Amino acid sequence: MPSKELSGRVAVAGVGTTRYGKLPEHDAYDLGVWALKEALADCGLGFEDIDGLIVNRIPDYQRFGEVTGLNPRYTTITPGQGRFSGICIQTAIAVIAAGMAETVALVYGNNGRSAGDHYGGASDAYGSGGAGLWFPYGMTSPGAFHALMMRRHMEQYGTKPEQLGAVAMAFRRHASLNPNAVMRTPFTIEDYLAARFICEPLRLLDYCLINDGGVAMILTTAERARDLRRPPVYIRGFAQASELAGSTFPPDDFWRRPMRLVAADVYAMAGVGPGDVDALMIYDNFTPTVLFSLEGFGFCPVGESGAWVADGKLQLGGALPTNTSGGHLSESYMQGWALNVEAVRQLRGECGARQVAGAELVQYMTAAPVITSMIYGKDRR
Amino acid sequence: MSEYAKPLPPDDAANRPFRDGAKRGVLMLQRCLDCGRHRFPAARYCAQCRGERSEWVATSGAGVVESFCTFHKAYWPGFEHEVPYDVVQVRLDDGVRLFSNLVGVPREQIRSGLRVRARFDPVTPEVTLVKFIQESK
Repeated sequence: MPSKELSGRVAVAGVGTTRYGKLPEHDAYDLGVWALKEALADCGLGFEDIDGLIVNRIPDYQRFGEVTGLNPRYTTITPGQGRFSGICIQTAIAVIAAGMAETVALVYGNNGRSAGDHYGGASDAYGSGGAGLWFPYGMTSPGAFHALMMRRHMEQYGTKPEQLGAVAMAFRRHASLNPNAVMRTPFTIEDYLAARFICEPLRLLDYCLINDGGVAMILTTAERARDLRRPPVYIRGFAQASELAGSTFPPDDFWRRPMRLVAADVYAMAGVGPGDVDALMIYDNFTPTVLFSLEGFGFCPVGESGAWVADGKLQLGGALPTNTSGGHLSESYMQGWALNVEAVRQLRGECGARQVAGAELVQYMTAAPVITSMIYGKDRR
Repeated sequence: MSEYAKPLPPDDAANRPFRDGAKRGVLMLQRCLDCGRHRFPAARYCAQCRGERSEWVATSGAGVVESFCTFHKAYWPGFEHEVPYDVVQVRLDDGVRLFSNLVGVPREQIRSGLRVRARFDPVTPEVTLVKFIQESK
């Protein structure tokens, strides 16, 4: 596991987000620059202060450096898969801890809506490639992959469609309190059940949005962050594990094995347990992922996540407010980035009508072939 | 007769034995000569033991349904007239997994644990798809 000495060593100094929706006049670079300017303004730093650069989903790091005039001392780029938001943030922590850079800009730009991304069909690149082998049988899309997993969960544990609906409804209700969310109209369980199937057992409202937008985060040392414009949000714990072997096909255990590894490490590093976090940000590409994450990280017993979420625990005012921004399902499909920003904004108390009162610890997690989690704290320890 | 409108598998040289086997009605898989495990699609190295020596072998084509899903959206024009259609996730007795279609089983009877065996479905003169039917008792 990462050294416990790194707990609270690095902080989020600034965050920036663009508008979300359909923004055809901006390409992925433009969206990244827009978000980065917002993040720099947020913390009061300038482009000249950035000495580390990590870009995600933006096609080319060199061009990004050209359009922003940046000459960082550390640079990397990662593929446009949602699991990489957590990986990038963890890489930034390691780079800062190693002294390779002091102030890292993490920049994400996604023009998927305007570019006509479909996440299925001929352009399907989910997972490890080779998807074309299965196209003749009509198999395609990350949605279908999760539908296959959810069918097994339903068969094994009796999980019900209405329980997935409870997840989607909670996040939409949160989005209704978020002025920047793309989908803000609340819906009922009847509306959920009446929504058309895309890949059964998943319906339209189980799927994340496809929209344009950009997100940036500025990470730096805890010491430097204290001198900046906003209160620092400390990264108290972080951990990662994976299930890459055989990952063309859904995992037998709903990614429980790697999630348990990550949970053990992230809580040990932060010195807290699942019962101590005030809110969760769960990577919600599809509603089932939320259930798998709650089980894998130990918030509820294996197989019981459906019943666990059904009584409003994930809603604001419930036991564990989750995806208070509306998440990927209703706020914006920023592939984990905007959820990490929401964690920061919650801990700074900036969330207005959707604020979790007295939030001191917020946990982010992704369930995918690469599992990541971070625990963000208002206090350094 | 109209042209076949659905996507066809990529015709890559590495998987040619699988493709040719299907045309003959045989499910061919690559087998590691070091640890004996089967694999598909083709790879130079065994993911289990990293051995490089392999052969292609005929297999029984028998397996079990692990899960299934039902597409209501057509991602290709060729599937527009078939929605809703089912995709099954099959684990062959040889350990290899495939995505495919189950022929002749009503949707409400598809479930995980169902025993199946390969059925070969020629769709063009060059391509035979590996689909599945329920194994008779």
